[in-house]
Order: sequence, then C-alpha cells, then structure tokens
Amino acid sequence: MTSPQPGPEAQSLSAIAISVDGLSAAYAGKTVLDNLTLEIRRGSSFALLGPNGAGKTTLLNILSTLRRPDGGSARVAGADVVRQQTEARRSLGVVFQDSSLDDRLTAWENLEFHGLVYGMAPKRRRERSAAVLALVELEDWRDEIVRSFSGGMRRRLEIARALLHEPQILFLDEPTAGLDAQTRVRIWRYLDELRRARDLTVLTTTHYIEEVEGADTICIIDHGKIIAQGSPEALKAQYGSRWLHLTPRDQAALEAIQAARPDAQPLGAHGLALPADDGAMTDAFLATFRDRLVEVRFQDPTLESVFLSLTGRQLRDRADDQHNADKAAGRRGGRR
Amino acid sequence: MNPIVMALRGLYGVWLREITRATRDRAQLIGGISRPLIWLLILGVGLNPYFRGEVYGEVRFVIPYTYLQFLFPAVIVLNIMYTSIQFAVSVIWDREFGFLREVLVSPMPRWLILLGKVLGGATVATLHGALVLILARFADVTLSLEQVALALLLMFILAFGLTSFGVILAARVRSFEGFGVFSNTVILPLYFTSSSIFPLDPALTRAQQAVTYPEWLVFLVQINPITYAVDALRGVLINFNQFAPAMGVGVIVAMAVVFFVVATIDFARQ
Repeated sequence: MTSPQPGPEAQSLSAIAISVDGLSAAYAGKTVLDNLTLEIRRGSSFALLGPNGAGKTTLLNILSTLRRPDGGSARVAGADVVRQQTEARRSLGVVFQDSSLDDRLTAWENLEFHGLVYGMAPKRRRERSAAVLALVELEDWRDEIVRSFSGGMRRRLEIARALLHEPQILFLDEPTAGLDAQTRVRIWRYLDELRRARDLTVLTTTHYIEEVEGADTICIIDHGKIIAQGSPEALKAQYGSRWLHLTPRDQAALEAIQAARPDAQPLGAHGLALPADDGAMTDAFLATFRDRLVEVRFQDPTLESVFLSLTGRQLRDRADDQHNADKAAGRRGGRR
Repeated sequence: MNPIVMALRGLYGVWLREITRATRDRAQLIGGISRPLIWLLILGVGLNPYFRGEVYGEVRFVIPYTYLQFLFPAVIVLNIMYTSIQFAVSVIWDREFGFLREVLVSPMPRWLILLGKVLGGATVATLHGALVLILARFADVTLSLEQVALALLLMFILAFGLTSFGVILAARVRSFEGFGVFSNTVILPLYFTSSSIFPLDPALTRAQQAVTYPEWLVFLVQINPITYAVDALRGVLINFNQFAPAMGVGVIVAMAVVFFVVATIDFARQ
C-alpha cells in the first residue's frame, strides 16, 4: 500500500498523535460522551482522570476502533478511527482494563501470537519478544503458563505485549488498578523511558490520583465532558488552594494569631491552618509572627483537592475499589 | 511489507492458538477418545447380532454389512459434531474473558480472524474424527490410503461447516451454562435422526422404507443435513450410499459455505 506524500499541513499535524473533534456517544439513551474535543501531542503523557462512568473507557474504545462514535470524529496517528481502521489499529498498542491475555498459553506464546497477528517477521518477533520480556523483567517466566501468574505479572506481560509491535501510541485503561505501589512505580518508570527514547505517546485513563502526577497533561472528565485540562501544576495553581500549616509556641500566640487572622482553621490539638494563596499576605503574617511559631509548613494543593473542588465529590471510595479489583481477579483466577 | 504475507501470518497465529489450546485441554481429548469407544464397543458390539434382515426366523432381506461397519462412519461424524460445536465454548470464552479485544484491536480484518479460528477448530475436530479411524480394523472396515485421504477431506469440510455453526450458536448464547444445555439439545437429536444408528430402510433397498418406519421419522431423517454427511462418509468408507453419492458431498460443502458466511456476518457485528 502506498500513502500519498504528506503535504505541509499534514507535516505540521504529525506533531499531534490523537485528535478528537466533537465526539459524542450514547448508551441506552444516556449520553456518555458529550461533544468532546481534545488534542494530544506526540510523545506526551496524557491522563484522562474521572470517576467511573465518566466516559473514559468509552472514549478509549472509540479511539481503539472497538466502538463507533455517534457523532463527531477522531484520528489516531493521522488515521480516522471509522474510515481507516486498519491504519489506526496498526499504530496502537492497547492495555485493557481487564486482562486480555490467553492464560492457557505461556508468556512467550502470548507474545508470539501478538507478533503473528500484527504480521511481524519471525526474526523481528523473536528479538522484540525477548526485548519486551526483559523490559518488564519476566524473562525467567517466559515458558510458564500465564494462569500461574500473579495479577502484577499479568499486567506487566500485558504492557510488554502492547509494546511488542512498537506502536506510536499506547492506550492504558486503568493500567495499574489492583497493583501494589512498587509495581506501579516500576511500570511508570518503563513507560517514561520509552516516551523519551521513542517519542511514544501514552494515553492513560485512571481514577488513581497518584498515577497522573507524572503526566504532562491531565484532562479531568465527568459526565462525558471535559471540565478542566492542563499540566498538574497548572491545574493545582488554577483550582487548588495552598495552605500554611503552623504550630504556635504557646496558648497566647495561638490566641493572638486567631485574633489577627479570623480565617485560620484549627488543625489538630495545637495547630492552625491558614489559606496561603495570597503570597504578600502570607509574607506579612510570617514577618509578624515568626518568633512565636514552633513549626511552619506549606501544604501545596493536591490533585485530589482540585478534583474535589471541580466535581464536588471524591474520585471514589478507595477501599471499595480495591475490594472490587481483588474480587474480579479472584473470580477470573478461579474460573480459568 | 507484503500485506498478503502479513495476513497469512495472522491467520497462522490464530490457527496455532486454537491448536495449542486444544492440545492442553485434556478433558476434550478424553471425550474425543472415550466417545467412539463407547459407541462402537458397547452400542456397536451389543447390537451387532440383531442387525439382520430376519423376522421370526424368516430371512426377509440380505444385508451386506455388519452393524459395526454400518455404525463406524456415523461415529466419526458424531465425534466431529461434538468437537466442532463445543468449539463455540472457545468463542464464548474469548468474548467473556476479554481475549477477543486483543484480536479486535489488531490490524487483522474480522473475517480473517474468524477464518483462522474456524480453521483451527475444524483441524481439531478432524483430528478427533480421525481418532475413530484408528478403530477401523476393529470394526472390520478395511481402508485403502485413497479412502482415508478422501474421508479426511470430507471430514475437514464437514468440521469447517459445523465449527462455523458453533460460532453462530455462540453469538446467540450468553453463558457457558446455557451452552451446555443447548449443545446437547442440538447434537444428539441431529445425530439420532441422521440415519446414523439405523438405516433409513431396513432392507437397504429403499423399497420398503415408508412401510417399515413411520413417515414423520423418515421425514426428519430426510431433512436433516447430517444424514447426508453420514451418507457421504459411508460411501467413502464402506462403499454404501442410501442417497445419490454427489448429494452428500453437496450438502457438506453447502453447509461449510452458508454457515461460514452467516458466522462472518455475526462476528463482524460484534
């Protein structure tokens, strides 16, 4: 197949890995995506953050050509996800929310299958399979049946498989849900290395705040709409509040501060928290009370507080979530 | 890179996965071996003495085959039917446990994915059918190499059609539990009404069929496509046909084409 030479316009567009234009989707009469428009730069790490049911997975399914949009259009690596499905799929690596490995095959056979289905030549299959297995440190398990793998090992194998055919874009749907913190850190380290080395674009959906701190751009979506987008710092600066946590020297100091700053909130038994967004005011306060404080600490805004102030609710109940993830893993493990 | 080579690699990958999975599934293999043994050893041997054209000591017609010989080709078809239709479980499995998405986001076209899967399932089913061939000597069936080759070809086309049929069932069944019931209510009635365990005409001459068996049964046997598959294999293996020899081959090929096309349409819709 020959593709036409890219014109100047196409060349300037190639810096864009994913573009979504006015995308809409409905499920059983309910709007899941509402006229969504966004652009993702090549080589960036883009995180879609939102509670369950916000439309993240639907968006990912449309971008990976598993579902047709009900309105609007989307392009991945320049290929339209409806009209140029094969081209779009070729440039994508996808890690799904639930395991999509064949657990009656060995790790190596799963990779071999993937390589064959993506039409890779035997030599390249062997080289790439060995390389990605090493990347996720599973070389010692290459001939083990996947059924015997732990959740974390499966996840790593799945990420290795998605990278096997050297995609330009990697989709990660809740990639590290149900993984321990150590594995989560390690996986993100691999992905960041790849991004730098190969200009890989990473699109992640998650409802774990910790997972998006390292992203270049965070896009918070809720009810199928983008409610905020920007770098973690920009979002915190725009929507979060900074606080000054302090411990007065004695009861007299505490009362003096409370008198001077009626907006101070009590913090613990002896502490106080002051809103610290206004730098000049904070400096003035510190200049006055410096000698009467035992401890002073700035509390930067967190994405959690950003999310809270934007949507008016917590991302979701953590304990409940972990419980469900374990339950799902147990059910799969048991039946397979 | 040559797109045809890439497509063939994908096809081989999907086929190979089915074969690898089947060789690791002991239960399926045990079923494939025990089923023909039960049918031939118990039913075949048990009924062998009664398969004669004799009524009250008076010889009515001469039957040139033993019951074991008569039953032998049908047991091959039965083994193929079970394995092929059980293949739907593999399709449901892929769908329920998420593996399907791994192939659906790959650059392979849907119909090619399905072709690979069906070829894989048909290969396994043909091998299960071929297991019965090993028992040929026991059933007093002598086979030339030519007969075996022709039989394997017919078996494969039949397995291809039935495997596609399994995929069509899978698209309509939502659960494993439902499929168990479904497959038994499909396979056994089809098998019993395919003139597999009794000839359509006890005299094997078609002269007295409607007299001997009730019309509804004859009707059921005649509309059952499996009847013609069994007949085609009997033609090849024991040189006996109840229908025109071309008819069996025609029905087997027609099933393969029609079921695969319907299965492709179903699969593309997912």
